[in-house]
Formats: sequence, C-alpha cells, structure tokens
Amino acid sequence: MRENQAKAVLLGLGTVFVLAFTLLPVGWMLAVSFGKEVGFAGEAEFHFTIRNYVEVLRRPSLHFVDFLRNSLLVAGSAAVAATLIGSLGAYGISRVSFRGRLVVLFVILALSMFPQISIVGYLFKLMTALEWTNTYRALILPYTAMGIPIALWVLLGYFSQIPRQLDEAAQMDGAGRAATLFRVILPVSLPGLLSAGLLVFILLFNEFLFALMLTTDAQARTVPVGIALFEGLHGEIPWGHIMAASAVSSFPAILLALCAQRYITTGLTAGTVK
Amino acid sequence: MSKSFRDVLVLIGPALVVVSLLMLLPVLGTFWISFWRDLPFAPRRFAGLSHYLRLLGDSGFRQSFQFTILFALVSVALEMVLGTIVALVVHEKIPGRGLIRGIILIPWVVPGVIGARIWQLIYRYDIGLINSILNPLFGFSVNFLGSPSGAFFSLVLADVWRTTPFVAIIVLAGLQLPSRELYEQAAMDGAGLLRRFTTVTLPGLRPILIAALLFRTMDALRVFDTIYVITNGGPGGATHSLSLFAFKYYLTGDFGSGAAVSMLLFLIAFGAALIFIKLGRFSEQVL
Repeated sequence: MRENQAKAVLLGLGTVFVLAFTLLPVGWMLAVSFGKEVGFAGEAEFHFTIRNYVEVLRRPSLHFVDFLRNSLLVAGSAAVAATLIGSLGAYGISRVSFRGRLVVLFVILALSMFPQISIVGYLFKLMTALEWTNTYRALILPYTAMGIPIALWVLLGYFSQIPRQLDEAAQMDGAGRAATLFRVILPVSLPGLLSAGLLVFILLFNEFLFALMLTTDAQARTVPVGIALFEGLHGEIPWGHIMAASAVSSFPAILLALCAQRYITTGLTAGTVK
Repeated sequence: MSKSFRDVLVLIGPALVVVSLLMLLPVLGTFWISFWRDLPFAPRRFAGLSHYLRLLGDSGFRQSFQFTILFALVSVALEMVLGTIVALVVHEKIPGRGLIRGIILIPWVVPGVIGARIWQLIYRYDIGLINSILNPLFGFSVNFLGSPSGAFFSLVLADVWRTTPFVAIIVLAGLQLPSRELYEQAAMDGAGLLRRFTTVTLPGLRPILIAALLFRTMDALRVFDTIYVITNGGPGGATHSLSLFAFKYYLTGDFGSGAAVSMLLFLIAFGAALIFIKLGRFSEQVL
C-alpha cells in the first residue's frame, strides 16, 4: 500500500511539473500578445488589448498575411505531393520483392537525416542560377524531397499491417499494381495517409533554413522566416507583434496536437515500433 | 522489361528521382563547391583541400565544433531522461490522459522559430519573464545570454522544452509494447517500483531508446533555428553551431569555406549515425 501511495504522489507531482513546463512559455506568449507593448514586463499591471492582433492581420506593411499564405501554400502542396509519392514508394517496397530493396529504403531514410546546411549551399547556387529565388517552386520542390522519406517511412509501417490477401484478390480480378494501390489499398489506408500528411505538413510548416536562404523579398517569406526577421520601424524588436503573429501561426498546430494527437503520435512512431 | 521491374520503376521511381535530384545531388554539389575558392567579385579557382586545412587550424571552427558536440551531448542526454520520465507519467492511468498527451505535444508542433522567440523573451535582461519576477523580489537581474555558459544552458533549456515531447512520444509507444505479465510476475516476486523499472522496463525499451537517441542526436548536431534566433552565435562566437558557422560563411559570399564546414558537419553526423545503427542492430529488424 505504501508503495501505491508513493507512486500516486510521484505521478501527481510529475504531471503538474510536465504541464507547467510545457504551458508556461505558451502562456507567456499569449500574455505578451494581449498586453500593451511598451515596458510590458516592467509594469506590474497588465492592460488587455487585441491591438497587436488587429495590426498584425490588417497592416500590409508587416506582411504577416503574406507569410501565412506562403507557408500554407508551400507546406500544403509539398505535403500532398510528398504523401502521394511516398505512398507509391512505400507500397513498392512493402509489396514488390526485388534485389536491393533494403538498400533503397536505407538510402532514402539516410537522406532525410542529412544536415540541411550541406544541402542548402548548392541549392542556393542552383536556385539563383535558375532565377527561382522568391518563387513558390524554389521551396515546394526541396520541401517535397524532405517530406518523401518521412511519408514513406510512416506508410511503410501502415501498409505492412494490411493483409496481402487484399492485393491478391484485386490482382486476380486483373488489376495491375497501380490500380490495386489506388482502388484497394489507399482507400483503406486513409488514417495512415492522414498521419503521414499531417506529420509532413507540420515539419514543413516549421522549416526555417531553406526558406531563409531561398527568399530575399519580405513578401516571399514563410512564417518562420518572417517571425525570425520581424523588425520595428526603428530597428527595435516589436514583441507585441511577434507574439501575436506567433500565437496566430501556432494556433492550427496546437489545435492539431490537441484534436489529432492520435494521428500525429501514430505517424511519429510508425517505423520505430514493430 | 519484366513486369515486376516495371512495377518497381513506376512505384519507387518517383520517390528516388525527387530525392536524388533535390537532396543527394545538392549534397554532392556542396561537396564539389568545397574544393573551390568561390568568392563574390573574384574569379573561381580550384582550391583543393585548402579550405579544410585552414578550418582545422581555425580557432573559430574549433570553438564551433566543440560547442556543437557539447550542445548535442548535454541537450540529448537531458531530453532522453526527461522524455522517458514524461512517457512513464502519461503511460499511467491519470485523469485527463488523452488531453495531457495532446498538451505535451505542443512544444514540438509549434514552429521552432516561434519557440525560440518565446524563450528569447523569457531570457531578456530588461523585459524578460524571469527577470521581471526576479527583480521585484530580490532587486537584481541576471544577464542569461551575456556569458558563454549562461548562453549555452539557456539554449539547452529551450531545446529541451521543444524536443522532449518527441522522445516522450517514441518512448511511450515502446512502453505500450511489453506484455503486462512480465510486470505482474516481477511484482509477485516482491520486486519494488525502482527494481521493476531497471530489470523489466528499461531493457525492454533498449531498441526504442536507441532509435530515439539516433533521431535526436542527428537533429541536435545540425541545430540552427533556435540558436539563430536566441543568440545568433553570441556572445563573442561562443554559441556558433556548425550549421550557423557555415551559414555565416554563405552570408558573406564565401561559398567554398561554408561548403567545407557543411561537409565536415555531414561527416560528423554520418559517423554518429553509424555508431547508433551498430548499437541498435536495426538491420535485423527492418521489415
């Protein structure tokens, strides 16, 4: 009995500590975003205002709406492309036996762990030579490549749980590999596709280094680059604007974490647990 | 062309082509650039290994190398321990478990730059959260980012906040695997809470802990955005990660040197990955 009591106390303390450590910075972001700008922390009193949000969303010179649109467009289209291409690859690796299958898998996965800085040096030269900097395709293409290994890995775990009889039945009816994948396997893999797509989207929405190197115009920036480079009129750091913009941009991610926790978790752990 | 070969081509081809063109080729390109003197307003000239040789004797590079290794060691160690503890907590049947599991994911899903901005404003000397509590209470403020060690631990804490959820989720998945019987057997044998953890839980988690260690180490070695935002390498270059060090060469237009730093980081990460893959014996488990 004593052991159970000790365990309950430990658990309670652990939970409180974990929640406080996680949420305190988020609370600080919200407090600053809803507070008056000047000398906010120095003053003891807190004046509630939504001015920061209104300005960030309304003032075209701050470009925050551009950042949001760019990020959603770039990360969204790359996530869709990566999930599609990744699902083809995962299906090929899980169902067709061929020599060098493990090598292909290993190489694709190893590529996703390359330090991005060793990719971006040449990519910058390439995109500059093509005059593609500040365009959507300059980010969508490398983002798709970044997303493919992750989508492939998540879906490989998912496909390996689907009984092969399903494939065989479709092939008996004369369907080819591609038709089997699109008409039979993908429709029953929607949760897996959602997991893969969400995970890739989150990672790409957060990407910083490529976007920093491959955009020079303020209008072309993504959310992370825009928020990192936010500057006031006179070079001061506009904390109220930064935190309001941060709160708006993290809102979808936080909502996803709370509502789609299961999908993110299964995606994240797909390959590691078997 | 045999039918199955065509299947392979159609299914795996697109992934291979995109990944080769946009990841493998650029890495090879960066490798190539590292052998050239490539400066703005100067003719390109073959430089051989001279960038590498110069870097190995360069104090800035050595400082950056040491910082990167130390940062990866300290932050990954803390994240592994904390992540495992968090996983153990949310594995139990606590009230509101589903919601709590969602909440602990928040730092990981929020963009890294945003997390870094928040921590920057927590550490600030004048208007930061910590100092606005310390100052009225004790009458002094701490300049967290002003000293090399202060800046180091400030960055580690920000990184721990952001990536502990990742470790926790992976370890949690591992915890859900081992059969309960083992636990009950051990409990019946009269083993205590701690003993049960070290004899049953921990060994069962080994493969998953090594997988988490691999992912986290790779990621910590290439750390960029947290540092770019919070210290930008300061004070006095004490917190330049290798990625940031290379980036600053790119920024000045010295692509040869930047590429050489990038390739050295690549080699370090590659070596670390090989060690973990050997430790984890993953090749026996895949598929």
